[in-house]
Amino acid sequence: MPILMSNTETIPGKTIVEFYGVVSGNTVRAKHVGRDIMAGFKNLVGGELAAYTELLSDSRKEAVARMLEQAESMNANAVVNVRFATSSVAQGAAELFAYGTAVRVQ
Amino acid sequence: MEALTQLGITLMVLTVTYLVGSAIERRHFDSLRKREARLRAFPTVTFERLPEGWQVADSGLAMGSTVVSLDYFKRFLAGLRGILGGRVRSYEPLLDRARREALLRMTEGAVADGYDAIVNVRLETSRLASSRGRGKGTAGVEMLAFGTAVKLVRQP
Amino acid sequence: MRFEPRAPREGINVSATHPLREAALLVAGVSAIFAALILVVGWSVEWAVRWIPPELEARTFGDWAHHLSSPEHEAERLAVEALARRLAMHWPGAPYEFQVTVSDEPEVNAMALPGGTILVTKGLLRESQSENELAFVVGHELGHFRNRDQLRRLGRGILYELTASALFGFNATAPEVTGFLGQMADRGFDREQERAADRFGLELVQAEYGHVAGAGRFFERLVSRTSGLGDLAAYVSTHPASSDRLEDLRDYAAERGWRREGVLQPWTRSD
Repeated sequence: MPILMSNTETIPGKTIVEFYGVVSGNTVRAKHVGRDIMAGFKNLVGGELAAYTELLSDSRKEAVARMLEQAESMNANAVVNVRFATSSVAQGAAELFAYGTAVRVQ
Repeated sequence: MEALTQLGITLMVLTVTYLVGSAIERRHFDSLRKREARLRAFPTVTFERLPEGWQVADSGLAMGSTVVSLDYFKRFLAGLRGILGGRVRSYEPLLDRARREALLRMTEGAVADGYDAIVNVRLETSRLASSRGRGKGTAGVEMLAFGTAVKLVRQP
Repeated sequence: MRFEPRAPREGINVSATHPLREAALLVAGVSAIFAALILVVGWSVEWAVRWIPPELEARTFGDWAHHLSSPEHEAERLAVEALARRLAMHWPGAPYEFQVTVSDEPEVNAMALPGGTILVTKGLLRESQSENELAFVVGHELGHFRNRDQLRRLGRGILYELTASALFGFNATAPEVTGFLGQMADRGFDREQERAADRFGLELVQAEYGHVAGAGRFFERLVSRTSGLGDLAAYVSTHPASSDRLEDLRDYAAERGWRREGVLQPWTRSD
């Protein structure tokens, strides 16, 4: 059964019976130079940088997957109060980070 | 000839920083694991509200932070990664260490002040730009953990 | 709702890949990209050079390098220029009006500049022990003009600079790597060019003097002194692998039955 997730205090319609602690998932990604150059051109006219949108959302999915892996290793069946944080940790590299509290719901 | 000397020096610096950097990293992970095990029974959660049944006697803000920087070898790898794109693996252990350190410092502070738990934990990351290279370089990364520490009337 | 302390499994947020393995992969990947870049730049310069007629080159760069020469070397400048033009007589249809510039540097070096100007250093003139020896060096530079190497070098320089700054300009670490690879790449391109220029220079010397004595002398002294480097370092760094080239020259002369002994013309050395 997949692990449930929410950014509220609890999973709607369920009650938390046990809570285990904070779980988190991260990933650091860099874009390659080709993308950088294309984005440079795109910046001239504005609009969505589709390649970046994709890169960031893919990375965020991976951060979530790692967070869920931690929750799974704690035998939790849900992660509540999930928060995201994106930060540029170095020139050209961004960290996507997700964290929440691992719980057991019923 | 000059290029070779330069390459030799670079390789030497890379080797030394790799060896020293990984030794420091290993030691830090050991220390993190030990301290985390010691504080395992102390609840830290991201809940905004208190778990039901908890009676709060007192509360305060708990904070912990650390500023970390990469060793030359890992920065070199990250630099190459910046050309190819993809997962910057060399940064992961550093950020993981820093975040756990910040969480631990927050928790240790709360324990020292006699609190029983921390709720509504938040984590922040920010890059400190280096003064060199027109602010493009990275001097370090700050990790901040903060939350509301509570003293309970009755243990949960 | 009950608190049950549990710890997540260790190592989920840290990739298992060994840093050294990661380093090897990255270096290989970046080198591959750079090698591709060098090839593309090389080819596009080859292609572009074919489309720039020497007349246009001469008009564009024309007298530009003339101003580099120091006035106190005027007598020597004229002597070397006369030598260059005499050698160029054996290159029928040479599209350039060759000019010589003498620079003040003590290092032994010579260079073909776009537009038909040969730059020789004071150090070279001091080091030359016969006219034949100097003629070979000048002939070598004429060989560069015949193959349009001066334009290639200029074109490659500009393109490398442009692409590198477009691609890696923002990157803190890359210049160390790319700079080294660029130097190596240039050297790869240069080797063939130098060999071709050597042979042409030798042909001119043979045509002018009827023998190639003295031509190799310069290299011989270079080879014997490369271990000490010193003021010859500059020449070696832009004209790599002197011993290989010396051997090539000997073979080339032997194949054609050119005499390696003969009367050397004196070169009035200056101080």
